[in-house]
Amino acid sequence: MTSALLLQTCVLLLLGGALVSLACARNRALAGWVSVAFVAAACVPLARVVVNVFAGVAEGETVLLALPALPARLTVHVDALSAFFLVLTGVIALLSTLFSVRYMEHFEKDTVAKFYPVLLVFFASMVALLVVTDMLFFLVFWELMTLSSFFLVIFERERKDSQRAGLKYFVITHAATLCMIAGTLVLWRQAGSFSFAALQDSLGVLLAERAVVAHLVLFLFFVGFATKAGVLPMGDWLPDAHPAAPSGVSAALSGVLVKLGIYGLIRVFCSFLPVSAASDTWGVVLALAGTVSLFVGTLTALRQTDSKRLMAFHTIGQIGYICLGLGVGVACLRTSPTIAALALLGALFHAANHACFKACLFLGAGAVLHRTGERDMDRLGGLAASMPVTASSTTVAALSISGVPPFNGFTSKWLIVAACILGGLQHPLFLVLGLVGMFISLVTLASFLKVLGAVFMGARDESRSVKEVPLSMALPQVVLAALCVLLGVFPRLPLGVLRDAVASAVRIEVPGADALLGTGFGLGLTAGGLALAFWAPLVVVLALALGGALAYAIQRAGAAKVREVPVWTCGELDSAAAVRYPASSFYLPFKHAFAGIYPALHARVPQFPAALRRAFNVDTWLYRPVVRAVDGLARGVSRSHVGVPQVYLLWIAVGAVVVVAVMLALTR
Amino acid sequence: MRTIVVVGLAVLNAAIALLLSPLLEGLMRKLKATIHSRIGPPVTQPYLDLLKLLGKEDLRTGRGFLYAAAPALTLGSVLVLATLVPMGAAPPLSFAGDIIVVLYVAAMSAVLVMLTGFGSASPYASVGSSREMMTLLTVEPVMAVALVVGAVKAGTLSTAGILAWQVEHGPSISMVIAGVAFLLALQAQAGKLPFDIPEADQEIMGGSLIEQSGPRLALFRWAMWAKQLVLAFLLVELFVPWPRVGILPFDLMLALVKVSLVLVVVALVDVVNPRLRIDQAMGYYLRVAFSSLAALAFAVIGM
Repeated sequence: MTSALLLQTCVLLLLGGALVSLACARNRALAGWVSVAFVAAACVPLARVVVNVFAGVAEGETVLLALPALPARLTVHVDALSAFFLVLTGVIALLSTLFSVRYMEHFEKDTVAKFYPVLLVFFASMVALLVVTDMLFFLVFWELMTLSSFFLVIFERERKDSQRAGLKYFVITHAATLCMIAGTLVLWRQAGSFSFAALQDSLGVLLAERAVVAHLVLFLFFVGFATKAGVLPMGDWLPDAHPAAPSGVSAALSGVLVKLGIYGLIRVFCSFLPVSAASDTWGVVLALAGTVSLFVGTLTALRQTDSKRLMAFHTIGQIGYICLGLGVGVACLRTSPTIAALALLGALFHAANHACFKACLFLGAGAVLHRTGERDMDRLGGLAASMPVTASSTTVAALSISGVPPFNGFTSKWLIVAACILGGLQHPLFLVLGLVGMFISLVTLASFLKVLGAVFMGARDESRSVKEVPLSMALPQVVLAALCVLLGVFPRLPLGVLRDAVASAVRIEVPGADALLGTGFGLGLTAGGLALAFWAPLVVVLALALGGALAYAIQRAGAAKVREVPVWTCGELDSAAAVRYPASSFYLPFKHAFAGIYPALHARVPQFPAALRRAFNVDTWLYRPVVRAVDGLARGVSRSHVGVPQVYLLWIAVGAVVVVAVMLALTR
Repeated sequence: MRTIVVVGLAVLNAAIALLLSPLLEGLMRKLKATIHSRIGPPVTQPYLDLLKLLGKEDLRTGRGFLYAAAPALTLGSVLVLATLVPMGAAPPLSFAGDIIVVLYVAAMSAVLVMLTGFGSASPYASVGSSREMMTLLTVEPVMAVALVVGAVKAGTLSTAGILAWQVEHGPSISMVIAGVAFLLALQAQAGKLPFDIPEADQEIMGGSLIEQSGPRLALFRWAMWAKQLVLAFLLVELFVPWPRVGILPFDLMLALVKVSLVLVVVALVDVVNPRLRIDQAMGYYLRVAFSSLAALAFAVIGM
């Protein structure tokens, strides 16, 4: 089968799954398992497409639908970059749906008819927008994705904070989409077609002839995609919207949705934008935006005590890393292609890694929420004993996101920081950005030690009995945690695949994987033929294992007896949970130092003149008086209807007498 | 042949870190006692302490794999760090990790100590871990800037590359400033006064390690001593590697003398200073970090 046919099967399976789960929404468990089955089935053709692409099976564009009047054509073409993002979408979609089946028991009052169908449409739209090569249809699917995710964000629609988060998401992302539409229309006027290739050419022409307009178009695209990616300050919707959604969806939002913003940025700034002085400038802009995001987002995350909100702010921070890598890559494209390729490789690898560990962390927070009903970390503690699987996978994911070697987060951060420093030999600005990145990686560590220390370690609350989550919720977490370890220890294979993705995205010749990453069993970044940076996870893991074994042999050399004892709190008799060190107490002096870093805007409603406000308030002068009058009349009438037959007979008699009297008076 | 050399050097580095670190700690204690006008313990006291602790009962307040394995992993990570750092020769595992890896592996032992602190469920340990993290947050950037200065000068991130460049080109303004910054950071990394805030025996009774006893405490202590030795080696080898003759025993002895001098300075600062508050320490290192950016600026313009 051709990729186009396979992709149609995939999307149709997802849409069919939406219909079937809608039909059996009465039975919550059945609807859930049906959705899982359809997503799993849809992943099969998707996997086939991805394998075809990476195996190098060349296929042209396939036209599925043509609108000659515009002219726009629904063309499908999967290159290595799309394939990479399709992998992310498929993996996270399957795992988050599987997690959601039991998690949705959490919402007893809300029907799942407004969950699974929307979720599957959301996945279908993401798959579709990744494979089209026509801007009009790209925008259509983009909008479908935004709308479906909006309905997932406001799933708990009775809650005030969900409504607020949903509204904010709706307004901000639609403003961003508007920017993208405007940018597209400018290019379309020039090109006369919506196809990516035509838009690419017209941007080049525009850049040569009317540079101001070209930069305006690039700015519009930047705002549009960076908003979706959650780059600050446009990403302000993210910390509200991600926690509001059910946890499985939070994982999909942070794992995939924000990455599609990155996909858009790569398409525009690597594929559309010609390698020129303009790409140097925009690279610096992207790198600066990324650094602001990672700095402000992560330091704000450190202050949070709501577990899901903390993760959402970290999404902003980690997207900042990706954007920093992307920016350094774009800026170096012209002067040093090797470093550019390394930076882009780091950005894409971090996108994949972030999908793994952030989805795992959101699912872990969801598992805790499911079992304890609690998101406030000040009121949690000591869950490692009762939820060992969740605790271990969250620990692995937390160490990964903090960049502790040899987990996957370290490898991608290492790539990005190394590219920053090597690129900094030409642009000294990148040196500073790389140092900021290293510092913020420590702040991330601090923040996640707080999560681990406050939620899973520390004193247990004996009054509350908590169980581990069921298998269908534990399995996705374990799979993602295992991916974090595997991608970290064996980075050569994924990086080799990602090199193809980078090569298909940029408009320059990219060196081969061996020329970029060295030929040894570790990674040795080479630029200008010299290996300049080294990271061999296997060697370090082996050395750590040997050193640890030696240390353990020393530890047991005296054959000391092991005994479990209660914590010593200086003889005080308070319960362990009462003297717990709460999440809000962690790093107080440091948090005070960065108190005002994320300013909260309190927009005030404009005050209209009093007369105007009264005139607009139709309730007070029209509706309520009318309602009151009708109400009073009805009450008056009903007062006469007492329900006693004798009284009605009396009324009839009285009425007859009155009528006769009137008739007599008239005829006389 | 090359593999044997690499493995041999790696074992040598790990052995130096493991076996000599208690001796240097003993020297530092003796020096402090002399300044206090005390006789002080013999220089071999740290070895005796470790031996005694290894035989004592192992009392645990936490459970789980990570808590049980933390002491061994902590000492193990310091041994890995030792193999990534030059000691008389090029770092043996230089092909496996550059300066970024060195920085992150150096932070690993701190991460494990902090996790042990949180895991032991004592509020004192949690306060200690929280302070340890804040110290790390302000000290690590100083070390990062200092090492990146070396990378900019040498045009490579490889530790061996920076060492070779230093040996070839001699002292420069930027590397001197960076070396001073690294020395200042070493004081807090070694957990010495005025920056022993995370342990603060008189306030929080040893901080993260309050609930550790017996062999576990021995390993954590050992790891801290070994780490201060390894970081001192990194300082003298990267920032003052001269004179270099290329004969391993000679270079190693010279480096050891320089390391002892550095640790004497650390001990002197320790003995004449009172403990700072954590916010004062953060302010101090913030200023050091920003001053060390000057070294980066000098390096960029080639000085």
